[in-house]
Amino acid sequence: MPELQTIVRKPGSNSDPLWYKDAILYEVSVKAFQDSNNDGVGDFPGLMQRLDYLQDLGVTCLWLLPFFPSPLRDDGYDISDYMSVHPSYGTLEDFQRFLEAAHDRGLQVMIELVINHSSDQHPWFQRARHAPAGSPERNFYVWSDTDQKYKDARIIFTDTEKSNWTWDPVAQAYYWHRFFSHQPDLNYDNPEVLEEVLSVMRYWLDMGVDALRIDAIPYLVERDGTNCENLPETHEIIKKIRAAIDEGYAGRMVLAEANQWPTDVRPYFGNGDECHMAFHFPLMPRLYMGLRQEDRLPITDIMAQTPAIPDNCQWGLFLRNHDELTLEMVSDDERDYMYLAYSADPRMRINIGIRRRLAPLLDNNRRRIELLSSILFSFPGTPILYYGDELGMGDNIYLGDRNGVRTPMQWTPDRNAGFSRCNPAKLYSPVIMDPVWGYEAINVEAQQNDPSSLLNWMRNMIALRKLFQVFGRGTLRFLDSSNRKVLAYVRQYQEQTVLCVANLSRFAQPVQLDLSELDGMTPVEMLGYVEFPLITKQPYALTLGPYGFLWLELQPAMNTVEMTASASGEESFYVESENDWQAVLSADGAMKLEALLPAYLQRQRWFGSKSRSILHAKVDDCLLFDENRSALVWVTVEYDTGEPELWLLCLAMSFGADADALRESAPQQVLAVVGSAAISGVLHDGMLRAGAPAALLEVLARGEELHTRHAVLRGLPGAALPGLRGAQPLTTRPAGAEQSNSSAIFGDRLIMKLFRRQQPGANPDVEIGRFLTETAKFANIPPFAGSIEYRRNGHEPATLALLQGLVANEGDGWQWTLEELDRFYESASFSRSVPSALAAAPADTIPAQAREYAGMFLEAAATLGRRTAEMHLALASGRNADFAPQIPRPQDLESLRAGLSAHAARAFDALKSSLSRLPDDAVEQAALTLSRRGALLGKFAALTQLGEVGQWTRIHGDYHLGQVLRSRGDFVILDFEGEPARSLEERRAKHSPLKDVAGMLRSFSYGAFAALTHYIARRPAELGQLEPWARLWESAVSAEFLRAWRETAGQSPIVPAAREHFDALLEIYMLDKALYELLYELNNRPAWIRIPLHGILSLRLHPGKN
Amino acid sequence: MAGIEFSEETRQQAERIGSADIVVGVAGPVAADAVRTRAETVFGLLGPSFTSLRFVFAWPSSAADAPAASLAADQPAALTFFPFASPAHAEGELWAGVSAQQRAVLSLAAHLNARACIVLGADLAALHAHPLQLLAYAVLERQCGLVMPIYNAAKYDGLINSGILAPLNRALYGRRIRYPLAFDFAASGAMCARLARLESHQNNHGGSGLLWPVTAATTQSPQTTIGQVHLDVHHPTASGGLDLSAVLAQIVGSLFQETEACAAHWQRVRGSQPVPVWGAAAAEPPEGQPVDTRPMLDSFLLGSRNLDEVWRLVLPPNTLLDLRRLTKLAPEDFRMPDELWAGIVYDFALAYRLRTLGRAHLLGALTPLYLGWVASYIREVSVLSHTDAEQRLEQFARVWEEKKPYLLSRWRWPDRFNP
Repeated sequence: MPELQTIVRKPGSNSDPLWYKDAILYEVSVKAFQDSNNDGVGDFPGLMQRLDYLQDLGVTCLWLLPFFPSPLRDDGYDISDYMSVHPSYGTLEDFQRFLEAAHDRGLQVMIELVINHSSDQHPWFQRARHAPAGSPERNFYVWSDTDQKYKDARIIFTDTEKSNWTWDPVAQAYYWHRFFSHQPDLNYDNPEVLEEVLSVMRYWLDMGVDALRIDAIPYLVERDGTNCENLPETHEIIKKIRAAIDEGYAGRMVLAEANQWPTDVRPYFGNGDECHMAFHFPLMPRLYMGLRQEDRLPITDIMAQTPAIPDNCQWGLFLRNHDELTLEMVSDDERDYMYLAYSADPRMRINIGIRRRLAPLLDNNRRRIELLSSILFSFPGTPILYYGDELGMGDNIYLGDRNGVRTPMQWTPDRNAGFSRCNPAKLYSPVIMDPVWGYEAINVEAQQNDPSSLLNWMRNMIALRKLFQVFGRGTLRFLDSSNRKVLAYVRQYQEQTVLCVANLSRFAQPVQLDLSELDGMTPVEMLGYVEFPLITKQPYALTLGPYGFLWLELQPAMNTVEMTASASGEESFYVESENDWQAVLSADGAMKLEALLPAYLQRQRWFGSKSRSILHAKVDDCLLFDENRSALVWVTVEYDTGEPELWLLCLAMSFGADADALRESAPQQVLAVVGSAAISGVLHDGMLRAGAPAALLEVLARGEELHTRHAVLRGLPGAALPGLRGAQPLTTRPAGAEQSNSSAIFGDRLIMKLFRRQQPGANPDVEIGRFLTETAKFANIPPFAGSIEYRRNGHEPATLALLQGLVANEGDGWQWTLEELDRFYESASFSRSVPSALAAAPADTIPAQAREYAGMFLEAAATLGRRTAEMHLALASGRNADFAPQIPRPQDLESLRAGLSAHAARAFDALKSSLSRLPDDAVEQAALTLSRRGALLGKFAALTQLGEVGQWTRIHGDYHLGQVLRSRGDFVILDFEGEPARSLEERRAKHSPLKDVAGMLRSFSYGAFAALTHYIARRPAELGQLEPWARLWESAVSAEFLRAWRETAGQSPIVPAAREHFDALLEIYMLDKALYELLYELNNRPAWIRIPLHGILSLRLHPGKN
Repeated sequence: MAGIEFSEETRQQAERIGSADIVVGVAGPVAADAVRTRAETVFGLLGPSFTSLRFVFAWPSSAADAPAASLAADQPAALTFFPFASPAHAEGELWAGVSAQQRAVLSLAAHLNARACIVLGADLAALHAHPLQLLAYAVLERQCGLVMPIYNAAKYDGLINSGILAPLNRALYGRRIRYPLAFDFAASGAMCARLARLESHQNNHGGSGLLWPVTAATTQSPQTTIGQVHLDVHHPTASGGLDLSAVLAQIVGSLFQETEACAAHWQRVRGSQPVPVWGAAAAEPPEGQPVDTRPMLDSFLLGSRNLDEVWRLVLPPNTLLDLRRLTKLAPEDFRMPDELWAGIVYDFALAYRLRTLGRAHLLGALTPLYLGWVASYIREVSVLSHTDAEQRLEQFARVWEEKKPYLLSRWRWPDRFNP
């Protein structure tokens, strides 16, 4: 035994204590890898020669099979000296040189700690058999006078051993062995044994060995009446071994070989205080089974049985190793299947398993090898490659024991496969020579020169895996899909998320995955960095080729990344004074500003193009105002697809306490830090600074003209402005509710809306506001007080700001309605009667129950109906081309029909593909809706046959309860801007006023069910009782609104003259609106899908009939 | 001391000084008397906000004439001179030597627990009050871990930087740094320690020894806040008499090595972030003499004839075809598209990683291609103002970002069978 004091304790070679989680292990037999001295046996100098190959392959840790002195009756697992090197493999110095060379290349080294048993040639055993019974020397092993002890322990090597006891004629006693009879088990009930084992372990760790594989770990301790596996006493021993490592060494690892079920292996991790790693034995045969059966179930099933392990622990995963493909951890049926599927020749079987390498098991099919390897590399654990499998090496089933998978490594097509230059007869094992698997066909040299070889594929996959810690450290979540031939799972670790999809079938397979939780992420195929379509709430469809697999890195939208970074406020401008705009808007500053803008825009509520990918933003024009304290900045935003847009920014700089307050109250509106050694402040949204909107008010009121580099800004005061403004100075404050625009309030008299999206052409909000106030004298809107236009050379003017009178109110119609409905449901819940259906009542008759419980709202609905009709009549009173009513031509109706039909088809398709993920209570309604698809689409077809549909006029265009204010028992109608996502031309187009009417009716429906959802959240049991009341409310309120509208509109030509035409057109618009809502809810709130479904199903299906 | 082995005498001097607020260190040998006088003048101009800070002004000095640390004459007690014995291995040609000296200064600063360290080029071009104020401001007031310069270079200056280092660095690490390899920069105390430690890491992996502070700041956790300052400083051409191939081999080779070492990081970086900039850009630098691009084009054409076989090992067929088309153009029409040049550099970075051929040979084969790009660029910007030329470089850098997926796909799956 070498002198221990001659060994200098070396540190571990990897400073990361969890290095094994990111490792790629490579199992190598010194004997089989490279022979340097031509004796026919591989050795450490030979292994050193091949380290460059291993480094190039990308593996990070070498697992060396036993290299200790041994009679070699079990391939070295029968050790006769734990502290030396078998002379055939070199010397201890050779090992140390190898270890240093491996560490120099960043490779860790794991060796075997075979401590369950020794060789019967070990001096300990020879000493024991000659020592008197009961002596400490004898007690190094497990002895008995009878072979009947521990009868419940199974025999593992069934092909060769009949008993776990063997009679020793010298000792005149039986000795215990769980494996071969020449491998007596050490006796851990003797404390001296553990001391000796710890000495051995320290000896190698001191030398710098990084990891130890503890062989046959479940069998260390024996107890009568048990199966002698996984005993608590065994765990006590392991804990002591681990404690000794933790006490003296950093960055080392212990791997348990426990061929057990996952739940039985779990205790070997302890509480993170036993083994760092353990093999996952049962997964391996199930990977082969899943592949052969083209069914993911065997794999997902065993993973479901795999318990969680402590954070500092890791599974060791493998496809093949130096032993047989063990079938101990499968059921009898599964074992029979595996034998039939993978060992046609009985010679392929040994013990309880199949002695074959990876490639022969898979019929040398490259795609199958790649598929299983891709699963190996992407499952949670550390992958372990068996030497030669990276080439697809074959085996030799005509060799005994498991030697058929332990043949020399095939390096070249030269003699002895480049493994040795000795006489071939001298080789420890013949090289593989047959035409398919022989070294002339399969060898490293050939594959290195073949860019498409399996070796190069493996190298690339290993390099790719190493780039992503998620594979070694992340969580695993399987994704369900109806196609069981496809295995799909998501791995997640910190900011890394990877979706893996594998086709276990030999034919192409489609799959639809529910990735709704990953909505908004972009999958990027990891091998080729290919971007896939964005994930939405819709099922994600993929098609995989035979045995195909995909690794998709899920990346957040680019803008999100930028937003996070720039929200930190790190970006700053060096300004030398409080209005040093030069530093911000000069060429250099503007460039920096432009770089900041994409993230800033994404943070703003008013920025309506958040779903588009910004390529870059360019400062187009600017104007200093507000005594140079604020700036208007026009920015052209370009996107990856589609047309660029012009957006308006109002910027200001604030310093000192003002800046601190803004940082606190409005961090999202802070664009950057500004300052110098003398001053410190922020650049922010100027609408938060009172001076900026006040200065714009002055520009408007005075009708000023200001010149920018490219345009003229002009104030256009409205006729009502002097009266609305009054004579007193007004204080300025930002309006709270910012949506697609930004607003500021002046005193309690005026409100200014700054239009962020700048589009040339008349803004409908300004145009209609001015018309209704100044021409039609319609009183139920905020009075128009003026606007500011921005006129570029050669372009139509764009509206920069709109000024209106401020209307005192009790909140918007939506909020007011919800509050009223809450009271309605409260009352209804105490009612014992069931409301009668409105449909059963005579037309236009409101049931008494509705009058009793919702009387106040019915009056309000009538008022709203009246005001709505008055608005439509006012809009129809215009005589100039922009407002004059027109009778739609047949082609107008045809165009409308085509648009509505196309929109409807999209909604139905989306509903169909989402059916499987809808809430249970909505599936039936959805199916019913889909079953009526033809009839519903038929409604649109009827549009062109209606003939007379009334005159078309300018309308509100985006009419719902949120667009009206409740004011002194009346309603004021707001916001004539139309749907902001549409073009100005579309928003200014004329339509039937029934489109607005339909919008409001749908809004009532939403109100009824939104309030019900809110109400029953506290009292879920009342849903069944209250749902009829919701319908009653909706029906009654809609009827009252409609009655008042019709009554007010009277015989106006904007109303279709025939009642059936009126009803049909209204239903068409209501259907369109409900389908719009359906699409919206599918994409955003599937739980609300019942509201539009109910709306659609409530429509009558016979066009033209009343 | 972290990372660098100083002489016993230097260590003792550092012990005597104890600590400092700001270490201003010169990365290269200077004449002791001249530098003292100059420093005394400059520190006197720093202004009142700096008077309460303890400065150490350090420079490497040969052992023979290295006097002990001393207080500056007629200066506030806050300024200490520290000529230190240059570490034995802080030598090397051109940038290798500069980087070694920069590390020595950073290591000294770490040892003195300085809050900030300002590293200056040995030509002392940046030893003026304003650059020191700006660099110190960004570290101390704006909490930057690293502050890099934006030099007011003429449009034909620093083209290795503009044509390779800056756009590659930006595309890889996602920070818009104009000069990722600079003579002058500043670092916070924590960053000094980090950069000093980095030295041993690079050497362990056979690194070239060049110091890439931006890479260290962006790839290590936690990430460091980086700033930039405009410095109206002009360093003379820094080739040190070496030919272009040697300079390219040293600098670009080192950058490629960093690229390989940091692959796990930069592959997850998308787009780029601006970094804060302080100070105003100075007036446009002088236009400089017109550059004759014909010799560059001749080198490119010669390369296309002699290095065709090497290029074929590195570049895909489409690129080779584009290059072949370029060789047929008249000099006045010669224009190398940004996408082509970015792709070439990406392919060379990959070949460097894969060791497709000897690395020295590989980088040598890049030289004529680089000259082709330089000729193309000079012809294009000759009619542009300085500002427009800078904007042109911004557009150029964006192309590198847009083409980064090409590098990623090739890096991850380095199949030669590609378009």
